[in-house]
Amino acid sequence: MSHTDEPILRTSPARFGKLMAILIGIMVVGGVIFFANYDYWNSYLPTAGKIQEEGTEHKVAQGTATGKTIEVNANFVESSDFKTYAFNALSGSDRNPEINAHVGDKIVFHVKNAGKSFHAFGVTASKEGPGPVIDGTAVGTADNPLKPGKGGDATFVASAPGEYYYICVVPGHRELGMEGKIEITAAGAATESTAAEVKPTGNKVEFTMSFEMSNDFKTYAFNALSGPDSNPDIKVKSGDTVTIHVKNPTKSFHAFGVVSDVDNPQSVIWNSAVATPDNPLKPGKDGDVTFVAGAPGTYHYICTVPGHATLGMQGKFIVQ
Amino acid sequence: MVLELKKPRPIWQIMFSTHHTDVGLLYLVTGLAFLFMAGVLAMLIRTHLFFPGQNFLISDSVTFNRIFTVHGLTMLFLFALPVANGIGNYLVPIMVRYKDMAYPKLNAIAFWMNPIGGALLWLGFSDTSWVSYAPYSVLRAPGPAADMMIFGLKILGISSILSSINFIVTILKCKHPDLPLRKVPLFAWSMLTVSLMTLVAMPSYAAALIMLLTDRLGVSGFFNPTAGGDPIAYLHLFWFTFHPEVYIFLLPAIGMMYELIPRFARKPLFSQGSGVFAFVMLGMIGFASWGHHMYSTGMDFTTKVVFMIGTLAAVPASGMHVFNFLATMWGGRIKFAAPMKFAVGGIALFFSAGAGGVLNSAMPLDFISHGTYWVVGHMHLFLTGTIAFGFVGMVYYIFPFITGRMYNEKLANIHFIMMLWGTVQVFFTQHLLGLEGMPRRVYDYPAEYSSWVELNQIATVGAWILGGGFVAFLINLLYYSSKGKEANMDDPFGIGGKYYYPHTAKNPHHVGY
Amino acid sequence: MGHDTAEWVMVGVIIAILLYVGVDSWVVQKEVEEVPADAETVKVIGQQWFWSFEHQDGTKEVNTLHLKKGHAYNFEIYGKDVMHSFNIPDWVVFEDVVPGHVNHAWFAPDQVGEFPIQCREYCGLLHYNMRGSLVVEDTP
Repeated sequence: MSHTDEPILRTSPARFGKLMAILIGIMVVGGVIFFANYDYWNSYLPTAGKIQEEGTEHKVAQGTATGKTIEVNANFVESSDFKTYAFNALSGSDRNPEINAHVGDKIVFHVKNAGKSFHAFGVTASKEGPGPVIDGTAVGTADNPLKPGKGGDATFVASAPGEYYYICVVPGHRELGMEGKIEITAAGAATESTAAEVKPTGNKVEFTMSFEMSNDFKTYAFNALSGPDSNPDIKVKSGDTVTIHVKNPTKSFHAFGVVSDVDNPQSVIWNSAVATPDNPLKPGKDGDVTFVAGAPGTYHYICTVPGHATLGMQGKFIVQ
Repeated sequence: MVLELKKPRPIWQIMFSTHHTDVGLLYLVTGLAFLFMAGVLAMLIRTHLFFPGQNFLISDSVTFNRIFTVHGLTMLFLFALPVANGIGNYLVPIMVRYKDMAYPKLNAIAFWMNPIGGALLWLGFSDTSWVSYAPYSVLRAPGPAADMMIFGLKILGISSILSSINFIVTILKCKHPDLPLRKVPLFAWSMLTVSLMTLVAMPSYAAALIMLLTDRLGVSGFFNPTAGGDPIAYLHLFWFTFHPEVYIFLLPAIGMMYELIPRFARKPLFSQGSGVFAFVMLGMIGFASWGHHMYSTGMDFTTKVVFMIGTLAAVPASGMHVFNFLATMWGGRIKFAAPMKFAVGGIALFFSAGAGGVLNSAMPLDFISHGTYWVVGHMHLFLTGTIAFGFVGMVYYIFPFITGRMYNEKLANIHFIMMLWGTVQVFFTQHLLGLEGMPRRVYDYPAEYSSWVELNQIATVGAWILGGGFVAFLINLLYYSSKGKEANMDDPFGIGGKYYYPHTAKNPHHVGY
Repeated sequence: MGHDTAEWVMVGVIIAILLYVGVDSWVVQKEVEEVPADAETVKVIGQQWFWSFEHQDGTKEVNTLHLKKGHAYNFEIYGKDVMHSFNIPDWVVFEDVVPGHVNHAWFAPDQVGEFPIQCREYCGLLHYNMRGSLVVEDTP
C-alpha cells in the first residue's frame, strides 16, 4: 500500500481552528441559552405529581390583624449528625419557643436557615404532617426550600382561637423536632389592640358615663372618684352599635373618646368622640355619641383633654 | 486504500457529507467533545465530595443531582455509543471491502440526531438520575427538564437503531463476495453483534420512555401506583434494554483491542474462531441477566436464581476474550506504543472489573453492594477502565490515518500513566467505599464516618490524576493534530512487516480456523 | 490444535469458580430468605425524606428505631411516594421500598448498640439526608 504517489492530506492549523471554532461556538451558545433561563428548566412539577398533591391540600386563610404585633425569630438548626432538628436551639429553654397570642395578634416570623440542610417554614393548624400551610405563612416550600443562610419573613394572624404550629414543611423535619406551638386565645387580656373597624352587627348597647372630679382638682375619674364604680369596665361585642351618654357635672371642661392608646388622647377610634379638647363639654353640659365597636381587643375610654387620662379619667373599653 | 478523500474539502462539506469516513469523523469529534464535557461534570462531583458537610463546591443538592444525571447520560449515550459508531463507520466498510456504509444518507441522519439529542439533554439538565426510575421521574421530577430528557433519549435511541440497521446490512449484505463472514475482522464482528443486540434490546426502552412521558402528563398510569400502575414494570423494561446495552457499550472496545493487539504484538491473532464465538455468545446470553439489577425489589427466590445463572453464564465469554488477547501477546515482539499500552491496560482493568462483578451477581452479596459506591467503582472500571482505555488506544491508533500527523508519544505516555493510576485509585477505592456502606448519588455524607471521608478523599485525588491524564489527552489531540510531525503513512508506528492497516497476516492460514 | 487446550482449561477453571459462586449463593440466599416463625413484624414506611416505624403493638417511631437484642424482626416495608431502599448496613438489612408493593426483610440483632439506617435508592432532593438510627437494646 506504499505505492501511492498521491499527496497525503494532513490536518492543517487553519482547518483545525475552524473545527474548534464551530465546536466551542456551539457550546457557548448552548451555555448562554441554558444559564439565561436557568430557573425555567427545573420549574414545575409534572402533571401526575400535581394531581397527586391536589388531593391532599386545602388552603386555610388568615384572620385580620387587630391586636398587637409579636416578633418571633425562627431559626432552623440541626445537629451535625443530621439526627436532631429544632428551631432556635437544639435543647434547653430556647428550643422551639412557644408563642402565646390572641386572635387578631399579628405574629411576624423572621425565618432563617441557620442549619446546613434545606428547610422551609410554614404555620399549620394540623397536628401532624407537613401541612396544609396557612396562606401567607410559607417561607420556602418542600419542593423549593431555603438554602443555608437564606430566610424570609412570614406573617400569621389567627382568625380563630386554638392550637397552631409553626413547622418546617420539609417532610419528616416536623417529626424530627422542627415544630413549635402557637397558642391562640380569644382576645381579652391584651393591653394594646389595633383598632380596626367592623360592620355593625345590629346589637345596640348604651352606657352612661359622667366625668367626676375632686374639689381640689387632683383626682379625676369616671362615674365615681373611688370604689368599685370608679372607672368601670365597658364590655361590648365587636360590631355592637354603642351609644354613650356623657355627662359633665364637674366644674371643669372635659371631652370623651375611646382611644387605642391610653397615653395618646388623640388616638380616638371609631368616631367615638364626644367633644374634643379644643371644643370640650362645658360644666353641666351633656353629649351623646353612637358608634360601632370595632375589632376585638382591649381599648380605653378616656377624657381626651390632655393630662386628664393620666390623672385618672380612664377606664377599660373591652371589645369581645 | 483510502482513509480520506482526494482533495481537502471545506469543513461544511465534511459536516454534511454522507461518506463513511466523514460521518465517522463527525461521530468521533462530537463523541470526544461530550467526553470532556461530561468529564468536567465528574470532576465537579468528585471535588465536591472531597469534604463532607455541604456547600463545599456545589451549593445545593438539586444541582448535584442534575450534574450526576447529565454526567451519566452524556458518557453513555453521547460518548460511548457515538465513538464506537465513529470508529465503526470509519473502519467497517473498509473491513468488509465495500465502498461505504449500506445507507450513507441514513448514516448521516443518524449522526445528526446525536447533537440534537445531546442539546435536549444538556439544556434540560434533568435531575432524575440516568436510570430515571418511576415513580420519582413520573411524580416528582420537575419539568421541562425531565420531558426534554425523555425526548432527547428517544431521538438518541432512534439514532442507535438506524445506525444498527446500517451496520447489519453493510456487514452481512454488502461485504465483498470473496470474503467469508468468518474471516471478517473481529472489530466488524463486534459491531455486528452490537447492532443485532440493539435491535432487540432498544425497543423495550423506547416503549418505557413513551410510557414515562404519558404517565408524567397524567394520561396514563403505567408506573404510577396511585393510578393503578407498578414501578417495577419500569424497572423491567429499563433493565431489559440496559443490561444488554452494557454489553453493547463494551463489545466495540473489545473489538478495537482485537485490532490493536495482534498488530502491536506483531503476531497473528490467537484464534479468530473463539473471538467470534465469544462475541456471539455474549450477544445472546446478555439478554438473560437483566434482573440482577433488581435483586432487592422483592423478587421471589427462583427468579433471582435464574437471573444469577444468566449473569454468571456470560463470564466465560469475557474470559475467552482475555485469553485470546493474552495468547496473542505471548511470544510476540510487542511494540509498546501508546495504543498498545492502552489496550493492555484496558484488558487488565477489564479483568478486575469482571472479577468484582462476580460479587454483584451472587445474590446475597449483592445486598451488600447494590446502590453503594461498590457499583459505582465496578461500572466505572468497565466504562473507564475497559471502554475508555480501548477507545483512547484506538483514537491514538487512528490518529495518523485521519490527520496525517503523529501525536506526541511522550505526552501519550504521561496520559497513559495518569489515566491508569487515576482509574485504579478512584475506582478501586470506590469498591472499598461501597463495602463501607456509602450509598450512591449522595450529595453529602456524615463527617463522623472517618473511613468514608478518607476513602472519598483518596478517590478525589485519584480523580484529579485521571482528569490530568485526560487534559494531556486533550492537548495531544488538539495540538498535534495540526502541528504534529508528519506521519509515515505506510507504517506510522514503525511496526514493520505487513501489519499496517488493513491487516493481511504473513501466513493467512493463521487467521481464522 | 495443541494451543487450544490452554483455552479449554481456562474456560473450565472459570466455570468451576462460577459454579462454586452460584451454588454457594443459592445456599446462602435460601437460608437468608427463611423468616423465623417468631419474628416480630415491624412496619417500615419510607417516604421523602424520612423513615417511620410502627411496632407490632402500635407504637410509632420516627427515624430512630428501638429493638431488642436476640429477637428476630421481620420488616414490612411500605412506600408512600417514590422508590427508596431501606438499609441497615451493619446488619445487611436491605430491601427496596416500592410504592404499591410490600417488601420484606428480616434480621435478628445479636449485638447492642446504635447502628445507622440509610436510604440506598436515589429519591430526590434529600436522598443523602434520609438517615435514621437503629438502637438495639439489651433484653432485660
